[in-house]
Amino acid sequence: MEAFTFVYLPYLCMGIFFFGIAMRAFIWLKTPVPLRIVTTPAPKSWSGVIWRSIGDLLWFPNLFKSDKLLWGAGLLFHLALWIVLLRHLRYFLYPLPTWVEGLQTLGLYGGYIIPLPVAFLLARRFLMDRLLYISILGDYFALLLLLTITVSGLLLQLFFRTYVIDVKDMILGLIHFQPRIPTVHWLFVVHLLSVLTLLAYFPFSKLLHAGGLLLSPTRYRRAIFEMRSVNPWDYPVLYHPGNLSTPEKYAQSLKGAEKGGKECG
Amino acid sequence: MRVTFPVPPIKIRASEHLRCYPAKAKDMVKINLPTERAENWKEVMLKKMAEVLEKYRSVRLFMDICAKCGACADKCQFFLGTGDPKNMPVARADLFRKVYKKYFTLGGKVFGKGNEAEELNESVLRDWITYFYQCSECRRCSVFCPYGIDTAEITMAAREIMAAAGIATKYVTEVVAKVYDTGNNLGIGPEAWKYNCAFLEEDLKDTEGVDVKFPVDEIGAEVLLVPPSADNFANTDTMIGYAKMFHAAGISWTTSTYCNEAGNFGLFLNYANLKKTNNRILEAARQLKVKKIYWGE
Repeated sequence: MEAFTFVYLPYLCMGIFFFGIAMRAFIWLKTPVPLRIVTTPAPKSWSGVIWRSIGDLLWFPNLFKSDKLLWGAGLLFHLALWIVLLRHLRYFLYPLPTWVEGLQTLGLYGGYIIPLPVAFLLARRFLMDRLLYISILGDYFALLLLLTITVSGLLLQLFFRTYVIDVKDMILGLIHFQPRIPTVHWLFVVHLLSVLTLLAYFPFSKLLHAGGLLLSPTRYRRAIFEMRSVNPWDYPVLYHPGNLSTPEKYAQSLKGAEKGGKECG
Repeated sequence: MRVTFPVPPIKIRASEHLRCYPAKAKDMVKINLPTERAENWKEVMLKKMAEVLEKYRSVRLFMDICAKCGACADKCQFFLGTGDPKNMPVARADLFRKVYKKYFTLGGKVFGKGNEAEELNESVLRDWITYFYQCSECRRCSVFCPYGIDTAEITMAAREIMAAAGIATKYVTEVVAKVYDTGNNLGIGPEAWKYNCAFLEEDLKDTEGVDVKFPVDEIGAEVLLVPPSADNFANTDTMIGYAKMFHAAGISWTTSTYCNEAGNFGLFLNYANLKKTNNRILEAARQLKVKKIYWGE
């Protein structure tokens, strides 16, 4: 059981995580974008596109236009999450770079912040009739999972301190393919299992929205409408015999017009 | 000035009764679609859906990445006007998404209803017909979506899929058929088009005392003008404006009786007719051997 939790499951979930993302990206990339449907105003150069995508990823300008409160909560959540994730590098790197060490205090504050926006996102799904209508089980699941991860992590940090050296020993063991089974507080197992669930769930759910954003046909393309857009699955126009105005018929009409005769109609 | 609309509370199925008239067989024949709903409509639609998902990254990606944040919910004028929750862009896309999940994703196949996956059945189809024809494809939602999800793409995909099974509305199919018949959306025949142009010539002669031509079907003109057809019918001042401009600039121009309308209702139906309707502009240009095309709309 312990081998399963601390060795096989982490490998399995990491495998699902990376394989799943690669699979999703592959499916998206192989599906063509037949028409130029970028939302204007859009940049005309590739460098502009890169800036726009970076902006979309980091500070969600569209969301700012639509809902300031949601934008604030979303931004706060994602920023805090990034800081916390970077702080967690201390459990994965040896020797430890100084910049990770320097993130320690900031990272802890990030951890304290995360539950606030998550609770807000959860509350608005219950309190706004529109959100309640569109929310599905997966939406609540993702938020509750994030809440479980954060709260268990915070409790481990504040009250039920597990022996961090053992944890790091276990993680480094996994990284170097010499897995070791640690003795840890049960709350750490909760933390670990919920993170692994998130990893396995991530590629197959809406949580992969950042990846999709980079490939979104309305966001990442240039607005060069003068340039010919080639549709890879284009096909010639077919005329049905029942149609009245084929080009041939029209040519007859032109002749008729030259003679001043009656039109076909 | 910024105008804000109060967001209405949701009223379940408030606009369900607002449904379009079904297409007529005589129009469906002209636009290469089945004249009535196919016997095996479900298979036809699912086959078309698989095809659409492979042809349009937009549709597949938008199905996958929506986070249901609700940013678009109060941005659709059809929702603001009716309060029907299925007119929220996200809920409209969900009508498509639940069928997509059921047949094309693992999560939907395994968890079914728990993952909001639903079989394509009569009631889902009814919702499709109702609500995918209550979208004007204006793309306003895509401007507010943090991922740029464009519900117009999903609406177009759904209509394409329905059209393949012989399900379409009278208004759209009639207009597209009319374009193939007469060259424009309003059904102005070649004779009427020429008469209108001659009338405007006379009118201009009377008011301004200048001989300004409104050429029709002139082979070898420099410019083919493809106006919105209403310009030669209702908003004639605009048509007169074009003629004056060409006259003053000394550019030889012509309109075509084969194609005198750039408004494309194929957009509201399916890709084949979208392409065909637009292709007529090029065909007309080749027939008349013009060097340039100017088109409005």
